[in-house]
Amino acid sequence: MEDDIMEPSLESIVNQKTLRWIFVGGKGGVGKTTTSCSLAIQLAKHRKSVLLISTDPAHNLSDAFNQKFGKDARLVEGFDNLSAMEIDPNGSIQDLLAAGGDGTEDAMAGLGGMGNMMQDLAFSIPGVDEAMSFAEVLKQVKSLSYEVIIFDTAPTGHTLRFLQFPTVMEKALAKLSQLSTQFGPMLNSVLGARGGLPGGQNLDDLLAKMESLRETIAEVNQQFKDPDMTTFVCVCIAEFLSLYETERMIQELTSYNIDTHSIVVNQLLFPAADNHCEQCNARRKMQKKYLDQYEELYGDDFNLVRMPLLVEEVRGKEKLEKFSELLVKPYQPPQ
Amino acid sequence: MISLLLLVFLVQLTTQLFSSVGVATTNEIAWILYNKLPTKTSQSVQEQTKLQREILRMKKEMNAVSAQDEFARWARLRRQHDDVVAKYENISSSLSSTKTSFDRTVALLRWIATTGLRFLLQTYYQREPMFWIPAGWLPYYVEWILSFPRAPLGSVSIQVWSMACSSIITLVGEALVGVWSLATSKKSGMQSKGSARRAQAYGPSSSARQAAAKKDQ
Repeated sequence: MEDDIMEPSLESIVNQKTLRWIFVGGKGGVGKTTTSCSLAIQLAKHRKSVLLISTDPAHNLSDAFNQKFGKDARLVEGFDNLSAMEIDPNGSIQDLLAAGGDGTEDAMAGLGGMGNMMQDLAFSIPGVDEAMSFAEVLKQVKSLSYEVIIFDTAPTGHTLRFLQFPTVMEKALAKLSQLSTQFGPMLNSVLGARGGLPGGQNLDDLLAKMESLRETIAEVNQQFKDPDMTTFVCVCIAEFLSLYETERMIQELTSYNIDTHSIVVNQLLFPAADNHCEQCNARRKMQKKYLDQYEELYGDDFNLVRMPLLVEEVRGKEKLEKFSELLVKPYQPPQ
Repeated sequence: MISLLLLVFLVQLTTQLFSSVGVATTNEIAWILYNKLPTKTSQSVQEQTKLQREILRMKKEMNAVSAQDEFARWARLRRQHDDVVAKYENISSSLSSTKTSFDRTVALLRWIATTGLRFLLQTYYQREPMFWIPAGWLPYYVEWILSFPRAPLGSVSIQVWSMACSSIITLVGEALVGVWSLATSKKSGMQSKGSARRAQAYGPSSSARQAAAKKDQ
């Protein structure tokens, strides 16, 4: 940090050219999708190519941009360097296997009679569906060269599991490859005696594939832990539960060594001083209380961005663009 | 010779003491004593208790602060608390592994001091007479048993002597326990009798009720 005062805007993220992965997360209904879309729009102004990925099972990108997105990256209408895609972490495994093509299908077929059993066993592990879709994303993202990738993540619990996954997977795969180097020759001689694997595959090929997957994951894992390449933007609202969840999330992110230095406080009310709306004034008073807590707790080390609650839904390109301006230029409440 | 007699008796006494106190208790006592010494382990034990107290203090403090009204303060306390808990768990796990190896050492030492020492003495002095029985006091077969297995005929062997010691220790120990429990139960028995009498004065006594229940059966 060049200066001690943290700006109340996301300008630092937009200007940090080394960033490659940006995660946007928070509780459900606080405006993650709106924030991530706005951030993507701002980034698109300064970068060559931006990809926005939604991992939320309740896909909102299509709603936000009024455009249908699918499992493949697609340009957002009206932009030439902003693409978006939606992946379903709860998508059926069979689907993913089919989409995975030669890699996964052959690996399963290669195990012969054991294949089906192994498949059932492997997919009963909790979180493996997310893991699979994550691997899928990584594969795609690596082949496409985007300058920056924004993840619009699912509500808190999901997010953290998603981020934890590379670490877990890397450990598991490292163990596996260690085992295979020890027992590989023995297995090979046994398999060689009965004429190789049933799929006409070589054990070494299989192991090489696994090893390359491990390397990809290790690389991504390292990038996620590098504060120059990855950051996490916490989105929240000025309410107790959201405050609590944000604190919990920040602590967990710190324990995974994932950098986070921005908080977007959404849906703030700025009623005019002479208004007669009782509810608005009461709500404003409550929000003020929690906003003060946010400032006291995070004011020194976080970019605390205050976003107003608008009178209309933020949907469509124009409205999003207008809203996204507020991320870099702090909102001036009416007097 | 007297010293050997005494030694065998003492070995039996220690064995008996250990077995009546129990393995777990002995280990626990040894652990406490060991941690009184200025060792590295005792330092971490002190650290552990200090952290434990710290955690309790923080819990109390956290309960005193309302999370809703002063979240910033509460969250800071919570962060400190989490840090200390992590440290505490770290120390606890390393201490528990130390404790396991310590218990193993204590068990070994205890075995050497009791069973091991007894075996050693019994093997080394198996041909030595503990003391002689005046000739003609006992018939031949009794003398043969008393000198079993290797001691010269007409004497008492170390095996027989240690067996005698252990049975005497057991007997005396049981007698002491019996006398003790008799003395304490007499006192409490008198008390319960007194209360029963008082209960009778105010309503149907418990013994009367029991008798009624028996009749029903």
